Amino acid sequence: MLAPATGLLAVFIFVPMLLTLWLSLQSWSTQTGFDTARFIGVQNFIDIFSNSSIGRDFKAALVNTLIYTVLSVVLILPLSVAFGLLVHQKLAPGGIVLRTILFSTYMVPMIAVALVFSKLYSPTEGPINQVLGWIGIPAQTWLSAPQTALGSIVLLNVWQQVGYFTVLAVAGLTQIPDSLYEAARIDGANPVQRFWSITLPLLGNTLLFSAVIAIINSVQVFEPVALITQGGPVNATNVLTYHIRRVGIERAQGGLGSAMAVTLMLVLIVSITALFAFARAREARRA
Amino acid sequence: MQLLRTFARAAGTAAILLSTTALVQAADVSFLTHWGPDTVAKLEAAAAAYSKDHPDTKITVRAVPFGDLLTTLRSSGGGSDGATIAGIYDAWLPDLAKDKLVAPVPDAIAADTKANWPAGVVGAASIGGTLYGIPNEIDVYALNYNKKLFAAAGIADAPKTWDELLADAQKLTDKSKGQQGFGMINSWAAGVLHPFASLLVSNGGDLVVDGKPTLDSKQATETFELYEKLIKSGYSDPQMATADANTTGPFLDNFVSGKTGMIIMANWWESALKAGMGDNFADVATAPIPVGPSGDKARSISYSWMTVVNAKASADEQKAAWDFLSWLNGPTSGPNGASAMGDILMSMGILPSRTSDGAAFKDKLDSDAFLKGYTETLANAKGFPVVLGGQEFSESLQKTLEAMQFGQLSAADAQKTAQSDATEILTRAAQ
Amino acid sequence: MNNATTLLSRRQLDLVRIVWMLVTLVLALMTIFPLLWMLTISFKSQAEVFQPTFWPKAPSLKNFVYVLTEVPFLRYLFNSFVVSAAVTIIALWFHSMAGYALARLRFPGREAIFLAIFSTFLVSLPVIIVPLFIVVRSMGMLNSYAGLIVPAIFNAFGIFLLRQYYLALPRELEEAAIVDGASYWRIYWSVILPLSRPIIASLAILFFLANWNSFLWPLTATSDQSLWVVQVGIASFRSQYASSWNYIMAASTIVAAPMLLVFIVFQKQIMESIKTSGLK
Repeated sequence: MLAPATGLLAVFIFVPMLLTLWLSLQSWSTQTGFDTARFIGVQNFIDIFSNSSIGRDFKAALVNTLIYTVLSVVLILPLSVAFGLLVHQKLAPGGIVLRTILFSTYMVPMIAVALVFSKLYSPTEGPINQVLGWIGIPAQTWLSAPQTALGSIVLLNVWQQVGYFTVLAVAGLTQIPDSLYEAARIDGANPVQRFWSITLPLLGNTLLFSAVIAIINSVQVFEPVALITQGGPVNATNVLTYHIRRVGIERAQGGLGSAMAVTLMLVLIVSITALFAFARAREARRA
Repeated sequence: MQLLRTFARAAGTAAILLSTTALVQAADVSFLTHWGPDTVAKLEAAAAAYSKDHPDTKITVRAVPFGDLLTTLRSSGGGSDGATIAGIYDAWLPDLAKDKLVAPVPDAIAADTKANWPAGVVGAASIGGTLYGIPNEIDVYALNYNKKLFAAAGIADAPKTWDELLADAQKLTDKSKGQQGFGMINSWAAGVLHPFASLLVSNGGDLVVDGKPTLDSKQATETFELYEKLIKSGYSDPQMATADANTTGPFLDNFVSGKTGMIIMANWWESALKAGMGDNFADVATAPIPVGPSGDKARSISYSWMTVVNAKASADEQKAAWDFLSWLNGPTSGPNGASAMGDILMSMGILPSRTSDGAAFKDKLDSDAFLKGYTETLANAKGFPVVLGGQEFSESLQKTLEAMQFGQLSAADAQKTAQSDATEILTRAAQ
Repeated sequence: MNNATTLLSRRQLDLVRIVWMLVTLVLALMTIFPLLWMLTISFKSQAEVFQPTFWPKAPSLKNFVYVLTEVPFLRYLFNSFVVSAAVTIIALWFHSMAGYALARLRFPGREAIFLAIFSTFLVSLPVIIVPLFIVVRSMGMLNSYAGLIVPAIFNAFGIFLLRQYYLALPRELEEAAIVDGASYWRIYWSVILPLSRPIIASLAILFFLANWNSFLWPLTATSDQSLWVVQVGIASFRSQYASSWNYIMAASTIVAAPMLLVFIVFQKQIMESIKTSGLK
């Protein structure tokens, strides 16, 4: 019963994973046969953390990926809750329409989103700066300057994904029984107090779930970088997925690419484990 | 039971048909290219014409965007199911040859190639004397400028020296109008490197000599300082220089809309300029790269493309591929003694490198005012270095130059970093 | 949920209502603007794309016609559909089996296997893409539907959710079947699967969408144009020296429209199933 799934797991995940681990200890040119691989121990790992151009590029890519992930999660989660509340409330109409519009951004092919945004972000001719000009905000540099390029990609990601996470938040919100709110209201709690003591805690699991998905998605970001910035300017948007592909495939440095991949895997394992440990501690505290 | 028998019969017939068709088709040749749909259509027409006379060779064309070309080649190559023929950029050749992914040109065709192409391009397609591909496109750089803006600023002719370049850039810069005198490019390797390298060679310098980087030379210092001056004085705005993955973007838009006075770019962007400027294209003129204080004459960087054959393809496929390529690049396949390849390139506004093509298209080339600034430079062009680790070398130098563009590094630091990184990369790659 | 009615006066209530509506409106506009922009470009001509005007001067369907006729775009749509549907159906089947086994069956090493499966959640495609490519190539699956479908099936996330769902199911129905002497297979087919409708529905949507939007793997695994999926097909409208914006946007509209339509029509069901699947 378990066989088909575990069979696939073994062939398409474990075997490549083990291969990656093995390759990270070799010096190997990606398109050649495995017989050309030369064992060099942990030299690849030393290189990617060294001060050579390899090391500097890798550390920068790691930092970029971390910044991107943190910014994305920090923006998406609160926004999804806020929009979820907006969609879920019964005061004013338009909730359903808003939900449809927000979710629709998730359906559009990433390549179209990337290209449209690269035009929208154009400093001199793009509509975004034009609109900002109408309300008196000076033109921003968006993708054209190293300080703002990564943030611009984060905004692109938030735009595309917030609808999906809003739907998840709404699902979580609908599971909170109205009776709890009634009871709190009778006790004299105002809307803000009700939010902090009822809504937020009971959304805890949904938020944890969303956080995990958001982190995994963000770490895997690839299309906007590959389709617009190609890692620039000045490698400001060089994220790990793009960098691994460039090193491992374009430059055919299979050993280095694998070492970077292994490091990425370890970073992910550590962060998700930490997240779950934090959640479990929170559960234990509440019980 | 009846169903089973019918099925078996159908399967049997299919098997026989498949095996006979396999016998008839001697070679299935696939051609990997980065050309757009219209150009691919022309290539397919040429392939169809060839297959009419050579019915045992079937040619299919596969196009991918330039940004994905090397990755596609490397991920699908290294196996017999990879593309048989690929159009590659000359800088990729050393690493591909070292990994034995490309096959040497058969002797007869190699001799013909050496006789019909200029030595420089043949050199770029060879490693250690062995020819690996048939060159086709050659690209050079020139100073593009906006005649209207020049007239408005009171400048009569294009700058011929670096001092004139700086003076003109100053006159053309007008922050209130969002106008910059000299446009740079970033976020795209060739866009960053080639103009810089063209200025360097026009200053008598070189990027790499005998496999060792020479970015610490006096000529290089002057070039780094030129860039620093352009940025610091505000004649060049890095935020107007962004390129996207399709080699279009703000740097192009700003020149098209008349916000950039001068920019150094390659000949092939003519079609993009025409598409964007329409009638205003008449305002664009080209001139050779300005000469630096340590240089003697205007030079440009050149680079070329060539078609190579997959070394892992079967012997039949390789032979069929070389025969097709030899015909495609030969004088019998195109109109008026030109090659079909030359004809395809000219349709994109790209210069063919075969000597006889240059002659066959002489009238067309002479009458194109835009291309004149480029064809004049062709004779003095220096090939962009074709070395092992070339891709990594390019990307590292690109990052350093971009850092300088955005004021993160001074010219002196940029030069030091560039030279040390380049040395480390090239030594490591040569191992 | 929002019991403001008893806390605020009538006028204050109206004010809050108006503010909510304004916020909703602004939000909707901000979200939809890029999409509208994309739509208007699909009706523009090549030259017009360069100009920063919003509405096309002479809107025409030429781009759509080009996309559907000059390139085998219908083929790409077909490929995307076949691959996404196949992966979704097979994945749901395999993973519900695995989820059930992990939730109910007792065998040595069960916890270890579950942990192993869960840890692969963290292995993302870029990490293993080079070795995966080599594995797929050595199995002769490159450039085939199998190569597109099979490696995409395994989804640790799906197994995890299904296991959670089955753990939460009351055991009475199964226990009744066991008493009747049914094998685990029978229980799975006749009892568990029908009960899994909500979770399978929501996972089906997620899996299908994820595969429909998949770009990196199809790009790497297929060189044959007849096997391209829509995402790769759209990317092919970019060439080295220019980008056919109008074709790209027209193609994207063609790709996004059906999914959008499905979502709009089946909205309520989709929301219901996400709710009842108990994503906790």
